[in-house]
Amino acid sequence: MTDAALSGGEAARAASIAPERGLRRRSRFRRRAFPYLLVAPAVVYLLMITLYPGVYAIYQSFFHVRFNSWTFVGFDNYRSLMGDREFWAALSNTFVIGSIALALQCALAMLLAFHAYRDPFVKGWRIVFLIPMLFMPSAVAFIWKLAFNDGRIVSDLLMRVGLIDANVSFLSSISLARMTLIVADVWQWTPFLFIIFVAGLQSQDEEIEEAARLDGASWAAIFWNISLPMMAPVVAIAVVLRGIDITTMFTNVYIMTQGTPGGATETISYFIYRLGFKTFNFGYASAASVLMLILTIIVAQTVVKRAFRSGRL
Amino acid sequence: MAEVRRRRKRESRVLRYVVLGGWALFCLAPVLWFLSIGLRPRTEIITPQPIYLPTFSLDAWRMIWSDWPMGAYLRNSVLAIAGSVVISVSLAIPAAYSLSRYRYRFREDIGFYILSTRMMAPAIVAIPIFFLFRNMGLLDTIWALMLIYAAINLSLVTWIIRSYMLDIPPELEDAARTDGASDLRILWEIIIPACLPGIITAAVIAAIFAINEFLFTLLIASTSSAYTMSVALANFTGGSDGVIYNAIALVAFIAFVPVFLVVVAIQKHLSRGLTMGAVKG
Repeated sequence: MTDAALSGGEAARAASIAPERGLRRRSRFRRRAFPYLLVAPAVVYLLMITLYPGVYAIYQSFFHVRFNSWTFVGFDNYRSLMGDREFWAALSNTFVIGSIALALQCALAMLLAFHAYRDPFVKGWRIVFLIPMLFMPSAVAFIWKLAFNDGRIVSDLLMRVGLIDANVSFLSSISLARMTLIVADVWQWTPFLFIIFVAGLQSQDEEIEEAARLDGASWAAIFWNISLPMMAPVVAIAVVLRGIDITTMFTNVYIMTQGTPGGATETISYFIYRLGFKTFNFGYASAASVLMLILTIIVAQTVVKRAFRSGRL
Repeated sequence: MAEVRRRRKRESRVLRYVVLGGWALFCLAPVLWFLSIGLRPRTEIITPQPIYLPTFSLDAWRMIWSDWPMGAYLRNSVLAIAGSVVISVSLAIPAAYSLSRYRYRFREDIGFYILSTRMMAPAIVAIPIFFLFRNMGLLDTIWALMLIYAAINLSLVTWIIRSYMLDIPPELEDAARTDGASDLRILWEIIIPACLPGIITAAVIAAIFAINEFLFTLLIASTSSAYTMSVALANFTGGSDGVIYNAIALVAFIAFVPVFLVVVAIQKHLSRGLTMGAVKG
């Protein structure tokens, strides 16, 4: 399933298929061009939505754009971005909210997968746990907006069990507002990791576990010392995919907090959206996009590439 | 010794059901409560004290069909999603075939480029895409939605199908090849039928991502001629009345039910699909 695997087992397969027989009557050129022609439509299509916007954003980032008038300003947008407290705040918010949510989801999904994967009702648990993930994210955002803010359900429940005395206004405190976003994300996306972890655990060789079991090791010890290391590549891929999606968090911010209080919940995606489509400062927003694009390429080339390579599955 | 072990085993089972049951409750409680929101009158949603046992009412059901063009939202969602799945699957099949069956220069770079487009935050390309569609006169059309959903999903559809194609034993094609079948015929008559489960999995996951898509739809759609359910929700507000939660809840469930049924049907392939083929569950 990886580039390593590509060059291994698949090399033999490719060689066995290769030229001679079926392609007798084809010219050498056509034969060599054929695989490129097959992959070309997809690549061209993707270039249109990545390369074109990338170039456009770079170009636009050197202009001050007001409606239809573009004024060349050189690196001014980048310079003011570097000194923009809101930009740095959005970056750090994205990082803080994202890493807490990801860590929680990971720990919870692992705990649940550990308890569920050997359970006779694992299929049932899987379906139940999946449910939050299958709601539209915009609907989930409204569920939690109502629960935390408009409907005050969470406050009411906490008061009933005696944890607090009065209604809490979740949008007035920085940490509470961030917590609402984290809870919504954990609720919806823990199942994503859970499903993958369970699959990783189930695909392992049971005999190794049985052997350890006969030697008297506890399930927890087996899990920690054998199962977990064996499924490290699976965990890496799942966490990378989830991590990417968390850093692009937009819908929940747009619906639940709109960045309040005082920008404490504004993520980088919402920051770019707000600059572009609320204040119509397109050149400036493009400069922020370009910086994010560079960051994305760096992460993709390092972390992601490695995760998908190491997954020898 | 045996006694201790048995007791420990029982305790661990109790702990297991506490953990799993607790999470199941945390999953389901908000869902059931939201369903009750959809089936209660407006006056019982935002109240000084939350109402846990509301009166039953179909107000919201009548409202979504009479006060909003719900039919148009449904049609837009279905058409945009179906169109985008067709586009991405038909581009992905030859690409996956090429990536899984041939050896050539830059193959791995091309494969990784396709994968890496999945890593891009929608917000990064949102502004250029917005201008692109505006210049093409496609703003507020389902064509724009179709094109953008297909682009978002192309990477994962390609990788999922590629993963299933790699599982097909080469002997299957070798026989056909000795009979003189062309590569395209082999793709069409042998490979595609053999990896149909993968294609279906990829199509389902792509459709779910398309239903969920929010940011691009928000920018592209501005009237009921392109609003999908996902974004229409966010516009269910009634001026001074604020957010109309019972209508939102019902639309959420209208979208949820088909997704849930389809996902249960492809459950076996889900972990593989969600990891773009990397984890074989």
